[in-house]
Amino acid sequence: MIRTIIIDDEPLAAGIVQEFLAEFSQFQVLEVCQDGFQGLKAIQQHKPDLIFLDVQMPKITGFEMLELLDEPPAVIFTTAFDQYALKAFDAKAMDYLLKPFSQARFKQAIDRFLESRMEGKESERPNADLHHFAEKSNRLVVRVKNDIKIISVQDVNFFEAEDDYVTIHTAGGKFLKKMTMKTLEESLDAGKFARVHRSYIINLNGITGIEPYERDTYLVKLKGGEKLPVSKTGYARLRQVLGL
Amino acid sequence: MLFNAFSNPRLGKWIIPGTGLVWFLGCFLLLKQYEVGTEIALTDSFLSGLIFLGGVFVLDRVFGLFAPKGKNLWLLFAVPFFLSLMGTLVHSYGLTWWYAYEDDYLDFLSASFYLRWAILALAEQLVALLALVVSKLERQEETQKREAQMLQLSKDAELAQLRQQLQPHFLFNSLNSINALVVSQPQKAREMVLQLSEFLRGTIRKDSQSWITLEEELNYLKMYLDIERVRFGHRLGVEFLVEKELNSIKLPQLLIQPLVENAIKHGLYGMTGDVKIEVSGKKEGNYFILEVKNPFDPESTAPEGTGFGLSSVERRLFLLFGRTDLLESGPDEGYFRVRLKIPQFQ
Repeated sequence: MIRTIIIDDEPLAAGIVQEFLAEFSQFQVLEVCQDGFQGLKAIQQHKPDLIFLDVQMPKITGFEMLELLDEPPAVIFTTAFDQYALKAFDAKAMDYLLKPFSQARFKQAIDRFLESRMEGKESERPNADLHHFAEKSNRLVVRVKNDIKIISVQDVNFFEAEDDYVTIHTAGGKFLKKMTMKTLEESLDAGKFARVHRSYIINLNGITGIEPYERDTYLVKLKGGEKLPVSKTGYARLRQVLGL
Repeated sequence: MLFNAFSNPRLGKWIIPGTGLVWFLGCFLLLKQYEVGTEIALTDSFLSGLIFLGGVFVLDRVFGLFAPKGKNLWLLFAVPFFLSLMGTLVHSYGLTWWYAYEDDYLDFLSASFYLRWAILALAEQLVALLALVVSKLERQEETQKREAQMLQLSKDAELAQLRQQLQPHFLFNSLNSINALVVSQPQKAREMVLQLSEFLRGTIRKDSQSWITLEEELNYLKMYLDIERVRFGHRLGVEFLVEKELNSIKLPQLLIQPLVENAIKHGLYGMTGDVKIEVSGKKEGNYFILEVKNPFDPESTAPEGTGFGLSSVERRLFLLFGRTDLLESGPDEGYFRVRLKIPQFQ
């Protein structure tokens, strides 16, 4: 049995996936979810083999939901938005169905999934690091225990790298998110954030002062009272952005 | 052409015959002063008037259509010069032949030849300049008119484009819903095809500039909402609070629908669970005020690129009324409120 979950906010759209999927006896639909929150819970609970995922949904998008999963299942995106196709393939989606889609096209997607399953291609699995190539984003979605929190980027004081994770420091607390500094840096507005150190990206609005530290290095003081190290290249970058 | 020099076209017709008449009268009075006989003076001034008229006519044609520039500038002086010389010669020889036995007059005629030529040359020179100036102004006016027309055309095009920017997202999702309904509920699928067609027809209406009544716009809106309700089912509720008397109020087409679409987008995509949208309309002085309210979670930052609906309405209002203060929006006690003001003209 191949265990699947369908996540789509439109009941009819979820219905047609169910209808088409009924042709394949080896598939079993465990749950149909109407938004990313439900979807996340269902995926953690059932650990499905495959999910059908809409992109534009209440509260958080399908992509944002995927970012929150440590071990995402195989994904077939179902959406009306063409502009997401590139991002979906970047997310190593199994396939990308543009609504409305035909039964033949649906079968193609299923065949592709079955093929890769036979070959056991792990690399076809979606990558949690969806921000690669990602367009500029003004918000971050994080998981706090079993809850989901949406953080507006402008509320972030600074980001701190910790192995595979990034700690997001805001006035309202610290949050952990699985992503790399490089992709995070690319998704942020370069006029508002600057990477001052291998491990730190700071919100330029929060800077209260810069002081020399050791030879060629500096410390940047933030509104919250933190003092963060600034590397030599980071200092050059900071000077450029701030126009010093 | 000189006849365009007056803004009143009926006066313009008389400009050339009028100058001829003035010329004729001037000549006649002058000749009488020099004690020329009445009959001869009349003939002389009549011929003189005709020749001047001919000159004006030719110069008007020439410099009305052709504006000498640079190397050709000498023509502006040469043409009146030779034209007046020819005119004076014709006048002189003609009258010499006609009054061959009036010695006194012939003496007077030949003595006044250079004076006549000088006066005619001066007058025709002025006419030539005038014709040139008038035609320049005319051309300028034409360019201005064309520019204004082009501006209007591009404005119309932009308006049409903004109006027709139906969300492909909406269209494809609706088609997907139909796709789903076809097998399970064919009757409902058919209903939705018809609704969608009506909706699309509305967005490509030909007489796009004309205003429609509020009733029509609301009917159109209800059609749109019917489609959305098929897609989102019970999650979407919409309440209309518009007084019946206002049904005949006129407003530009398709201004309200994008606002409701925006409310649905933020309401349905910003919240989980059921969403109720409120549309209310009232009249305040010379304005029709329409408000759209949707529940809104101030905690959640909207995903990027969702402001298109409002900015397109704002742009249209500016193109229609030349004002930027007709659309206000903002959060209001757990709701997101959009307020649209439409000026009402009597």
